[in-house]
Amino acid sequence: MSTKEKHRLVVCPAEEMQEGSRQLIEVNGVEIGLIRAEGVCYAFRNSCPHQGVPMLYGSVVGTMLPSDPHQYIYGNHNEIIRCPLHGWEFNLKTGKAMFSPDLSIKMYEVKEEGGEIVLYLDRAPEQVTRKEFSCILSS
Amino acid sequence: MVAQSKRTGGLIDCDIHPVLSDFNELVPYLDESIQQYMNIGKFAKGALAKQNSGSFKFPSSPYANPLPVPLRADAFPPNGDIPGSDPAFLAQDLLDRCNTTYGILNIGHGTMAAFHNVEVAAKYTSAANDWLYDKWIKSDPRYRMTMEITPLDPATAVKEIERIGKRPEIVGINMHCVNIPLGKRHYWPIYEIAEAYNLPIVLHPDSEGTGEYAATAGVGPASTYMEWHTSLGLIGQRNVISLVADGVFEQFPNLKVNFIEYGFSWIAPTMWRMDKNWKALRHEVPWLKMLPSEYIRRNIRFGTQPIEEPARPKDLIEIIQMIDAEHMLLFCSDYPHWDGDELDRAFLHFPQELKDKIFYQNPLESFRF
Repeated sequence: MSTKEKHRLVVCPAEEMQEGSRQLIEVNGVEIGLIRAEGVCYAFRNSCPHQGVPMLYGSVVGTMLPSDPHQYIYGNHNEIIRCPLHGWEFNLKTGKAMFSPDLSIKMYEVKEEGGEIVLYLDRAPEQVTRKEFSCILSS
Repeated sequence: MVAQSKRTGGLIDCDIHPVLSDFNELVPYLDESIQQYMNIGKFAKGALAKQNSGSFKFPSSPYANPLPVPLRADAFPPNGDIPGSDPAFLAQDLLDRCNTTYGILNIGHGTMAAFHNVEVAAKYTSAANDWLYDKWIKSDPRYRMTMEITPLDPATAVKEIERIGKRPEIVGINMHCVNIPLGKRHYWPIYEIAEAYNLPIVLHPDSEGTGEYAATAGVGPASTYMEWHTSLGLIGQRNVISLVADGVFEQFPNLKVNFIEYGFSWIAPTMWRMDKNWKALRHEVPWLKMLPSEYIRRNIRFGTQPIEEPARPKDLIEIIQMIDAEHMLLFCSDYPHWDGDELDRAFLHFPQELKDKIFYQNPLESFRF
């Protein structure tokens, strides 16, 4: 589905989404978390597929790439969000879990347009609530 | 003697224990330095016999089996010697009775793996291998053997494998557990040649508690033989975790490791817990490309004896089925030890297809035949 066929939802002014900041919005009863890392905005369903804890409390990190035995190769710098409970790693660019391509968190299309942070959703946003969110990881 | 087995089909017994009648049987295979060290052959001293002449003491477990006869009392050979000391009698008493296709001999006096003097242990190990080959392998075409090595000295172990490891009657490498976890790179030269020779690594309790380099048993010493024996599975479990986590099966994808006599019902929770931790902590072991349980299923095998005996026998079968372990189990009698299994009774509730795998197909594929 192209962007034009999706439903546009303005989340907040872009100045509220500085590097490292986090925002929480509920759309049709589903929480969506937004973060900005390395200048890029990401939006994802705020629930880990494992035990359901809010992903927005997750650390944004790089990780060790698949390697030969006893070799550490760092990569994906600030492209990984770790579940705050068990540490499951999800790639923010794809939503896929690092340990299995068959598991992912739902990612939403998010853009910065005219000084605003905009979500593009598959379903019409009928009930929208901006939620207060703060955590120690927010900048 | 128990009744003749009515079973049809092949049978590979993966754990039979031949023993020396006397350390002097090794004299032809040991140079004078070690004979002198061990007080055998022409160096035997008459004095202080009860103290073994006051010097060399073969490493044995401080946990003495408390049974009146700590070996099968029906396994004494006609000459009254120790059970497991007579190749012809053992062939008749076990192989004929069970209609065994191949019997794999894991030497019962190989427990020098954790001994503090590695030079002595290495020469003893070579002598024990040669004794086993000459006395036992040559006595019956059904006998196969694992060869002993010195796990504390991988370079010497590799030389020993190069020396005899291509003999067709040798079907595995009996390494034993010491206080270095099995995944460590210390062992990798051994794993490299084992994989190249298509020989599985076999782990069998022997060195646990018998030498200065013995693996620790969980939190500390057991109080009794019963407690010690039950705790062996913890050492097996710890080493399975080490092998997988340290990437041994990424480095050596065709290596097989056969844990004999450490139990197997604990595989299920070990798999589940390892898989769960890997999902969270994968970045610490980024060389693991698939679930830890998949490496265990692919590369590790387990002896059936001493078989676990839940109140409902079928519970054990359910554990095997729930973790897809049908291809991972190897029949072991452990003859002539006290805790052995009789194949017609121990597997009474097992489906025939599973028994066929355990008795023959799995051993055939996990040892070098």
